[in-house]
Amino acid sequence: MPGRIKLLIADDEIKFLESIAKRLEMRDFEVTKATNGQEALTIAGSQKFDLALLDLKMPGVNGRQVLEVLKREHRFLEVIILTGHGSLDSAVECTKLGAFDYLPKPYELEKLLEVLRRAYEARLQKKFEADQERLEKIADMATGSSALSILRELRKLDDDEK
Amino acid sequence: MMADEADSRTGAVSVSGPYSEAHYKELRRHTTIRFFCLYLLPLILLATYFFVQYEAIVAESERLHLAAIAESQSITLDLFLSERRINLTNLINDPKLTLPPDNAMMLGSLARLQRISDAFVDIGYIDSSGVQLSYTGPYPSLEQRSYRDESWYRGLRDGESDFVITDIYLGLRRRPHFTIAVSRIINGEFVAFRASLDPERIYEYITSLEGAQEVYTTIVNREGHYQLIPERFGNPLDTGAFVPPLTPRTGSHEAEVGGVDYLYGYSWLRSANWALLVQDVPGEHTTFWSGLRLQILGIALLMILLGFATIVVRARRQVELMKESDSTRAQLGQAAKLASVGELAAGIAHEINNPLASINEEAGLMKDLMNPELGTPVSPEELRPYLDSIQQSVFRCRDITRKLLGFVRQTDVSLREHDVHVLIDEVVDGLLGAELSVSNIRVVREYGEDMPPLLTDGNQLVQVFLNIVNNAVDAMAADGGTLTIATEAGSDHLTITIADTGYGMSREQLENIFVPFYTTKEVGKGTGLGLSVSYGIVKSLGGRIDVRSSQGEGSTFTITLPTRERRK
Repeated sequence: MPGRIKLLIADDEIKFLESIAKRLEMRDFEVTKATNGQEALTIAGSQKFDLALLDLKMPGVNGRQVLEVLKREHRFLEVIILTGHGSLDSAVECTKLGAFDYLPKPYELEKLLEVLRRAYEARLQKKFEADQERLEKIADMATGSSALSILRELRKLDDDEK
Repeated sequence: MMADEADSRTGAVSVSGPYSEAHYKELRRHTTIRFFCLYLLPLILLATYFFVQYEAIVAESERLHLAAIAESQSITLDLFLSERRINLTNLINDPKLTLPPDNAMMLGSLARLQRISDAFVDIGYIDSSGVQLSYTGPYPSLEQRSYRDESWYRGLRDGESDFVITDIYLGLRRRPHFTIAVSRIINGEFVAFRASLDPERIYEYITSLEGAQEVYTTIVNREGHYQLIPERFGNPLDTGAFVPPLTPRTGSHEAEVGGVDYLYGYSWLRSANWALLVQDVPGEHTTFWSGLRLQILGIALLMILLGFATIVVRARRQVELMKESDSTRAQLGQAAKLASVGELAAGIAHEINNPLASINEEAGLMKDLMNPELGTPVSPEELRPYLDSIQQSVFRCRDITRKLLGFVRQTDVSLREHDVHVLIDEVVDGLLGAELSVSNIRVVREYGEDMPPLLTDGNQLVQVFLNIVNNAVDAMAADGGTLTIATEAGSDHLTITIADTGYGMSREQLENIFVPFYTTKEVGKGTGLGLSVSYGIVKSLGGRIDVRSSQGEGSTFTITLPTRERRK
């Protein structure tokens, strides 16, 4: 179903997780819930997501670690951090690790939606630019390379996450 | 009084400092007693010792003095009596003596004797039949009197001695006098001369001697009858209150007469069976001693009073200082507690922000559910679970703030019996519980069994645990770890070991760990007061904190607290 944004939410606060998931679903997001960091990583390993919302403090694997893995494994995935630990240090750290934005809890939904929108746009833009680059590469190759290598590059367009 | 009672019941505290006024009153009393025992008591004991010694020396010198006077007087008296005896012996040995002596000779002899000594009253000549054949003196009726049955005569005649000095007696003349008699065998015939002597003359003689005015002199015989006595004290032949011991022949003695102790010196005469007794005349001599004694006592008393006053003032001042420092410490303690709470704030914010976020989402969701644009509106009944959930979250927030305020507001210092495990749990499960679990820190409790109750200020101890566990959480924040809390009871103390598996400390950090304002945390996160304050608290509770740490391997804090000793 194209058009629906695929979103992974990880938070150990079950009530919060349920409510936010329901609200975003009502706003046409395709939401997948994870109650801890390990679960989030497992789910992310088997499905593709456009965006991820991560709580920072979680028992087991924490949000920072999940962020690190997700950014490494999924090139175009944008991650937004949600946390009750609103501190400048952790915001800076998360940004360095590639988080798209950082929202302290509690927040206004409008603001979150705005961030999600921008994040999705950013993701699309990034993907578009990457595709563009590849297409140019393929165009270059088409003039001198074998059909097989062109085919290989074209396949990479689909496999965009790597 | 009412306030005091209320205080002791609730363990509450007055406004001036962390302890009640009664506590300081007790402290003042203790300090005064301590000072007294330390400074004044040895002085008093020493002074008493010297005073007693001084008294003994004075008494001893008094004794020696009296004995010496008695001895010198008795020697003089012996000499006097010997002279009288020799006067008589000269008479009996006179080659011109005719027996029985005629009247003229007797008169001449008495006149000669009286020229030598006015103590001679009369003389008589006695033959072997014991009859006084010749007599010259104021009592002519004594002529022809038989002395045959008198013990002194029999002694002479039986040859026990060639002279005798009798005790004082009244005799036929009803006047106290005594007799000196000498005997000799002339041409196989026993002859004796006797003379009566007036004891008053002797007394005058003795009292005219040098130093005799300082003392009263009396003479007693072996039976304790007065032989010589000043008229105002008694009469000759009255029985005296005491008889001095026969040995040693000279000395001093104490006797009780009519409830009063008398010190007297005595000396037994050689020529008669008399003892000479001397007693101090109350006068300049004795008033000097008693005056000196009064002076010494007065000065000593004054010094003791002054010393005591100083001690009271000093104790008061010391307690005043302690009170001040207690109050300062209480204020500092409160400031430090706020500092520890400041360090806690991040964790607490997380704790509160999470339920707030839930509330926010649930309220938003309800709004969404009632919004026709987003779907079919729902019935109020369907919204109820969300409202319940919101309420639960609100209560969670309230519990957190209550816990925090409870810790901050408690300013009373109150010693009560605490279970140390309850205090630890208050920190590990309560104040820092959520923080520990979201930081992936596993808490291992190795609590000892049969822990004795700890008489301590629970709130302060919670603060110590909080500071140490807080640091442990920071040290393990990055990757989580294990916090091991072990307790163990010793014979008179208990130890609490708090070990983390965090990044540990360098040597330099370890050396400065208890230095106030030393912190390894970023600016704005740590005050550097937590551990220095903890150190102060544990020390004031009579215990100690030891730290072991090596970089990369975590830190171990060991708190040792006394279980018996009450905090001073």
